[in-house]
Amino acid sequence: MPAEVVIVFKSTHDVIKAKSELEKACIAHELIPTPKEISSECGMSLRVEKTVLNKVLEILRSKGVRYRDDLL
Amino acid sequence: MIYFDNAATSFPKPKAVIEAMENYFFHMGGSTGRSGHKMAIKASELVFNTRELLAQLFNIKDSSRIAFTKNVTESLNLAINGFLEKGDKVITTSLEHNSVMRPLRYLEQTGKIKIFVIQANQEGLVDPSAFEDILKKEKIKMIIINHASNVTGTLAPVGTISKIAHRYGSHILVDAAQTAGSYPINVIADSIDMLAFTGHKSLLGPQGTGGLYIREGMEIAPLIRGGTGSSSEKEIQPDFMPDLLESGTLNVIGLAGLGAGVKYILDQGVSKIRKEEMELTELFIREAKKIEGIKLYGPTDTNNRVSVVSFNISGYTPSEIAYILDKEFDLACRPGLHCAPSAHKTIGTFPQGTVRFAFGYFNKVEEIRTVLKALAQISQGEIELPRH
Repeated sequence: MPAEVVIVFKSTHDVIKAKSELEKACIAHELIPTPKEISSECGMSLRVEKTVLNKVLEILRSKGVRYRDDLL
Repeated sequence: MIYFDNAATSFPKPKAVIEAMENYFFHMGGSTGRSGHKMAIKASELVFNTRELLAQLFNIKDSSRIAFTKNVTESLNLAINGFLEKGDKVITTSLEHNSVMRPLRYLEQTGKIKIFVIQANQEGLVDPSAFEDILKKEKIKMIIINHASNVTGTLAPVGTISKIAHRYGSHILVDAAQTAGSYPINVIADSIDMLAFTGHKSLLGPQGTGGLYIREGMEIAPLIRGGTGSSSEKEIQPDFMPDLLESGTLNVIGLAGLGAGVKYILDQGVSKIRKEEMELTELFIREAKKIEGIKLYGPTDTNNRVSVVSFNISGYTPSEIAYILDKEFDLACRPGLHCAPSAHKTIGTFPQGTVRFAFGYFNKVEEIRTVLKALAQISQGEIELPRH
């Protein structure tokens, strides 16, 4: 099983926007309840494989999705 | 039944609107942003999609700058109360609806703000240079303007006024109650700082939906504070959009319908909707003018108006005409002051008001012809006033 990373967002709007952008880019992802040990920022977070993290962050930045860079 | 009361609320709604609402209740049902289960995710996606569709319709780059409200009155109250501070000065026009005038007058009465009211002419037209005359002398925080009058249908030159406002460091709030969905709105091209709209008129959605767009870089205070599903560890309201202005559970079923309404409009095209509504309006105005005893209000040049038309028939009060039309001809319209006393004073119809017809995308040429015949009969005294 490849290593995975959880991306936390400021708001529901951003997590859904991120999901929609990753779907368009055909990048595998899963929406999960934000693990409490990470943050209580927004109820949902995105889990992606670590190998695609840079690509994912590039997409999120270019689309103006507000994620918690400090929690990565 | 003939429905000409689309300025109050549009009818009928596209089938897709009803299906979207039904689909939400049958198959989604969850709350947005409060949980991470599949139903909650679907609901969150639905709300996101409605926001994106509205952003597309109004040329808004970042849809998070739209906050949902329950109607345009709430949107206007949010913009006015959230942006104005003690000592601020504003300009508005004599054509405003009470959803603008009442919150403004309240702030004036409580000594917070000063209001300058620009008088429109009898057709409801405002002269952009009148704004500049005040802006030259006074530091104006914001201009609040009705995009189209709900009484005369007159369009305001929003793009011109906003550019003048910005030259003097002022801001513009546009009340798009009668234009969103039926007239092109481009927040970038028209330099709109805040756009207040409702979902249940020309956007073809259900009642209980509306929104406020706020340009990036502009901050306003919320009307209410509370749970947002975000930053839950903090007892302080989040400062980011849309959560800043959207506390409490959203009207998800309403927003499902609104999204379908906006999708329908985008598929049809606002220009096609505008063209067809104005064809009906032109026909009505052209033929109604020929009927003796009818007085029409608002601009005759259809480039300066939307499909809202006010008129009176001599010898009758507006409510008598509306009553006859309802009882004898099965026609729905709205008589009276339309919550805009200042607009009626402007056109000289205060306090009795007018009869208002507002044609919608689903009205037909035959309906206009039927009604024109009815008005001719009424004005010739052929119809007895039905007994109450």
